[in-house]
Amino acid sequence: MSILEAQHDLSAFRQAIRDWLAEVVPSDWKARMARASNEEYIAFQRWWMAERSKVGLAIPHWPKEYGGAGLSQRHLIAVADEMARADAPQNRLFTISLIHMPGTLLPHGTEAQKRRYLAGVANGEVWCQGFSEPNSGSDLASLRCRAVRDGDHYVINGQKIWSSNSMYADHCLLLTRTDPNAQKHRGITYFIMDMRSPGVEVRPIRQANSRAEFGELFLTDVRIPAGNMIGAENNGWRVAQATLASERGVISFEGGERQRYEIEAFYRKSLEAGAAWLRDAQLHREFVSFLAEMQAARRLLRRVLQESETPSASASVLPSIVKLSSTALRQRICSFMVRIGGVDGQAFALLAEEPFGSPMFDFLSAFSGTIAGGTNEIQRNIVAERGLGMPRV
Amino acid sequence: MEKEALGPTSTLDQATLDALRESIASVLAEQCGSIELHTFVDGKNALDKTLWAQAGQLGWLGLGIPEQFGGLGMGAQGLAILHGELGRQSAPGPYIATLSAAQTIVETGGNDIRQTWLPRLGSGEVSAAVPATLDRHSLTRSGAGVSGTLRCLGGVDAAFLLAPADDAWAIVDLAGAEVTVAPMWDRTRNVIDVRLTNASPVGILPDAAATCAALTRTMALAVAADSAGGARSITERTIAYMKTREQFGQPIAGFQALKHRAADLATKLAVADEMVRHAVQRTVTDEPDAELWAMLAKSEVTEACVFVTTDCVQLHGGVGLTWDFDPHIFLKRARLNEVLIMANTALRDRAAAALAAMTSSGRSALELEL
Repeated sequence: MSILEAQHDLSAFRQAIRDWLAEVVPSDWKARMARASNEEYIAFQRWWMAERSKVGLAIPHWPKEYGGAGLSQRHLIAVADEMARADAPQNRLFTISLIHMPGTLLPHGTEAQKRRYLAGVANGEVWCQGFSEPNSGSDLASLRCRAVRDGDHYVINGQKIWSSNSMYADHCLLLTRTDPNAQKHRGITYFIMDMRSPGVEVRPIRQANSRAEFGELFLTDVRIPAGNMIGAENNGWRVAQATLASERGVISFEGGERQRYEIEAFYRKSLEAGAAWLRDAQLHREFVSFLAEMQAARRLLRRVLQESETPSASASVLPSIVKLSSTALRQRICSFMVRIGGVDGQAFALLAEEPFGSPMFDFLSAFSGTIAGGTNEIQRNIVAERGLGMPRV
Repeated sequence: MEKEALGPTSTLDQATLDALRESIASVLAEQCGSIELHTFVDGKNALDKTLWAQAGQLGWLGLGIPEQFGGLGMGAQGLAILHGELGRQSAPGPYIATLSAAQTIVETGGNDIRQTWLPRLGSGEVSAAVPATLDRHSLTRSGAGVSGTLRCLGGVDAAFLLAPADDAWAIVDLAGAEVTVAPMWDRTRNVIDVRLTNASPVGILPDAAATCAALTRTMALAVAADSAGGARSITERTIAYMKTREQFGQPIAGFQALKHRAADLATKLAVADEMVRHAVQRTVTDEPDAELWAMLAKSEVTEACVFVTTDCVQLHGGVGLTWDFDPHIFLKRARLNEVLIMANTALRDRAAAALAAMTSSGRSALELEL
């Protein structure tokens, strides 16, 4: 029985995923990726997406009419859980394609846009997000990238930054300024931009962890058909809220579950090897404290999932609270790993095969959690103002 | 066999738990508000006595006791809600000692002891005392008598003491014992010094290890729940104050430096609540890691509560360190909670040892339902 055919019995569904993962995921994928060039990494991501697509797990949660399998959130959670359990590759290249794009198009896109773009993801189309600008980070609504109507097109001029995987993207979720005279939230328009349009230039940004996962977009007289507008002209800010809200949910849940298996594997190996840090009572205490916080974070992530299916979800600040606690915890765990790793732990290495095998890489990478997707400082504003009712001044 | 009859109750549904919380909260809000509490702290009312009588009548003291002994059979979940709400109001009374002693008797007391004491504990007719710390001192047994001095959590009128006595645990009637009150900074709690000279125990719990483990776990859950409730309550009170206190021509709640601290407190509270829920859940389903998570919940949540209450004093500014405002009452309770049972370092050491043992034997302590 195929995985999708087993969907009516959740445990059979899980077993089918487990069997498939055991068959398809190469046992040495982490070792290979630890040595891989950027190009090899991207090719591997595309291969993994194609494999998922073959068994119907590329976009299983989307409505059937748009190429998905219409699976419930419970199924999606089971998929994420099995992926984490098997330490299967993540689909990082497709994060925007799988989460943000449908999160935006399903509520706000036209029928033509949904039909054109949603099914494309299963075929490997990569999306990126053009939101932040060099002078518009936390103050996103101050963005200045201009869109000017010219017949049945808009002409775009400006700059975007922190656009994950934009170097490989086919399409971009783009926020532009159409009315520079309106109040800043009211003059924004949302477009789908073809990344192959003339005038689009992408320059990768190398991060402290030595990887280049982000790009900077330079847009010069880029022409976008008016039919690529999502929502109405000057109503882009409202549409963007759907994009931002889509980040909450299963993807964070899977991250929490992956960390559980990673830290457990690390601990088991430490015990087997009689690691020196275990003989330091204070370090061992710190470690069990992390586990207590980790269990709490995993429970909170489950609550976010439960809540996401209720009408009050959009008003909740729980996702911000969860982001604050789990990203800070991740940073402290990675910092702990650097401390106990000694000089060897700081030998230059990227993603490692062993759990926390390159602690400095993990530590440096953990900042993306506290900075990306709305900095933790912005999350604190949200918790205080919307959650605790403290006045905006 | 016995375990099956008396073991943890099945998981209660959320609506039942919400209704219980609601009913306890409304009684305490009415009877144990800030003014009543301050009056009690100043020794000008008998709030502890009136609350205790009320608690007995409403069945709160029998929440965790199985129905065949006159209780409500709501187990660790019911108790966590009660302790959380008592913590929210900093309610005075010997709840942690009495309810934890009762729960320990449920688990390892044997039928005679259960039948003798559980109905009386559940009705509020008697209260109990237990050692304030469980890793320090023990009574000594010679012949039929027990002797020694113990600093205990419990009221001066506690009917009995449940304490270790060499290789067993003893229930000692305190009617003829020398009991002196130890005045504490936390006036919402009673600490007593009990001196026994060849006293005759009225009951013996022979399995010392199981009894100590049961009391450690139930007290840990109680203290953690109390701390989580207290931390949440004083944070709410502090934020309400910050919305009314004006400086530089605006409510201080509008200053970003303070908003960010408040958001951090809210985050700590959310984490603390989940730590308590997790530990309670592991106990309810009787997992092999239940004690591990209870010990970690106590150590983590009591320290979080000390952090939160300390910050709430500071966020109040000058009035925060006065006798007349609420923060000091919660801060003192938080500091006592922090050191009960045993030092948090010792609890973490035990949790680490339990984790190592489980992991080495190929089991996971990190299972969590979806």
